[in-house]
Amino acid sequence: MARFRLLPDEQQARSPLLLLWREFARQHSAMSGLVLFILFFLLALLSPLLTPHDPYLQNDALLLIAPSWSEQGLVQYPFGTDDLGRDMFSRMLVGARYTFGIALITVVGALLIGLLLGVLAGMSKGVKSSALNHVLDLALTIPSLLLAIIIVAILGPGLINTLWAIMLALLPQFVHSIRNAIAEQLNQDYVTAYRLDGASNWQVLTRLILPNIWERLTVTATMALSTAILDIAALGFLGLGAQAPTAEWGAIIADSLDLIYVAPAGVALPGLLIFTAVLSVNLVGDGLRNAMKKRREN
Amino acid sequence: MILYLLRRLFLLAFVFIALSILAFSLGYLFPGNTLQNFTGMTDISAEMATQLTAEYRLDSGYIQQYIAYLQRIFSGDWGLSFASKQPLLQEIKILLPATLELAAYALLVSFFVGIPLGIIAAIKPEGIVSRIISALAIAGYSIPIFWWALLLIMLFSIGLGWLPTAGRISVLYEIPHVTGFMLADILLANSQHQTEALLNALRHTLLPTIVLATFPTTVMIRFTRDSMLDVWEQSYIKTARAKGLNRAQVLYRHALRNALLPVIRQIGLQFSTLITLAMITEVIFSWPGIGRWLIDSIYQRNYPAIQAGLLVISTLVISVNMLTEILHTLFNPLARKR
Repeated sequence: MARFRLLPDEQQARSPLLLLWREFARQHSAMSGLVLFILFFLLALLSPLLTPHDPYLQNDALLLIAPSWSEQGLVQYPFGTDDLGRDMFSRMLVGARYTFGIALITVVGALLIGLLLGVLAGMSKGVKSSALNHVLDLALTIPSLLLAIIIVAILGPGLINTLWAIMLALLPQFVHSIRNAIAEQLNQDYVTAYRLDGASNWQVLTRLILPNIWERLTVTATMALSTAILDIAALGFLGLGAQAPTAEWGAIIADSLDLIYVAPAGVALPGLLIFTAVLSVNLVGDGLRNAMKKRREN
Repeated sequence: MILYLLRRLFLLAFVFIALSILAFSLGYLFPGNTLQNFTGMTDISAEMATQLTAEYRLDSGYIQQYIAYLQRIFSGDWGLSFASKQPLLQEIKILLPATLELAAYALLVSFFVGIPLGIIAAIKPEGIVSRIISALAIAGYSIPIFWWALLLIMLFSIGLGWLPTAGRISVLYEIPHVTGFMLADILLANSQHQTEALLNALRHTLLPTIVLATFPTTVMIRFTRDSMLDVWEQSYIKTARAKGLNRAQVLYRHALRNALLPVIRQIGLQFSTLITLAMITEVIFSWPGIGRWLIDSIYQRNYPAIQAGLLVISTLVISVNMLTEILHTLFNPLARKR
């Protein structure tokens, strides 16, 4: 017998965001990813306050000390020191700021510019939209490393210069996904209904479309963030990005490469950190995607 | 379909024009003398400079210069390399096949490993096998490629001594350059040590291929899995099951064909990432391909080489992109409507 219900189910009465969080929190991998992500985020913010030693201070009395878990290590230097006597632990902590923090800034920048261009492309029709699309197709075809090489050739090597290259390389995927999401939204009945009520383009955009696409944007942004971290580290490793004294993780690996037999920790640890950082981002992204899918099914 | 192809060709032409304009403008954007950047000659005497300026039309407007640039590109005069003083086109012809070879092997591995694993992972999405595959896939997706390469070199080349660390083949073997693909060249060379050379080349190829294949394979696994799970819920699968086909039949006749269609497109989309990764792999394994050459060029401030590299690599990526998209449309009539 059908029962009349004045109020909907308790389940359905919850806000979509809360439902998303419930599905997200149910996945252990996603939650551990989130914890790691927050940890890296805090590290990127607070690392200068946390370092036990100055990461750039060279101490010639303490060259190449082994990590503290080996017999020769010192407890004050948990990860040992490098060939110039700089504390590896402090360098790793500060590295979060460069590799993870700059990647985050890059993605936010690309997201904002992508949002602007994507909205322009999605809301406009005809020549303007297709011209924008074709220019983006071109940008999409230039591999990110090649783009970085060209920008480095014009502006010279450096972390900030490669930041532009990575931002430019990330932009097309943002614009594409935003444009597609907007096109999908514009076909919905509620948009038509809202338009019939006399809503302007701006109102449709801010009241209907943006609230509906931001979750998808977050997923795109996490994917972009993992690419950005990997790219920054790779460019640092190749010597095109962060330059020698900077404690960027990829640059540290390149620095310690000649001493890989003597001090393998100098290569292993930063690599492990890059891996963990990217993994945490990917776990969060995957968890978010799964949670969105599950919420839609329920 | 013809209209679609025409539109694609038009787009292709547009993209190529934009690309050539970009490459042309780099001659001005790069630091240093514009004439040197275009010709690749570093010490130009005064009378040669006037002659070259006339030849390259650097005295007239940008449009004439651009047309002259295009004519030079099509006639095969790409200028000289700052570093080696050799014609760039010649150098690229030798280097590009090495990169293509590596990328092709990596793509093949990603097909033959990634797609079956993705299908297995989709059969029981909550099962233990599927979870292990997904965990491996996300780990492979997250690993920085240069670090992964270093780990494998440490383990297999230095620790165990099984595989060589660098190059395409041992210097003992002299293989004439015919196709540029090492394995094909060895088979064509017809020398008495063919088998040994082949084995040696394979041992050199193994590690770079594994390193480069890691990323595309994990992308394939994830993509095939998601695509299969999507297709598996379609109504035509239920119909096929209701008609009494068993799992294997449904998988082969209905699910696989529909699920693998988007995979074709994915190759095109991932190709530019693959080239980026191939460049890094080449640097680490001293693989004599175009990626290592380009990265060396930036250390040497070899601007003409960077300009030529941009043109070649982007053309390659655009062509692969277009080709996969056209193939995808050819196989999938639904995509033609857009």
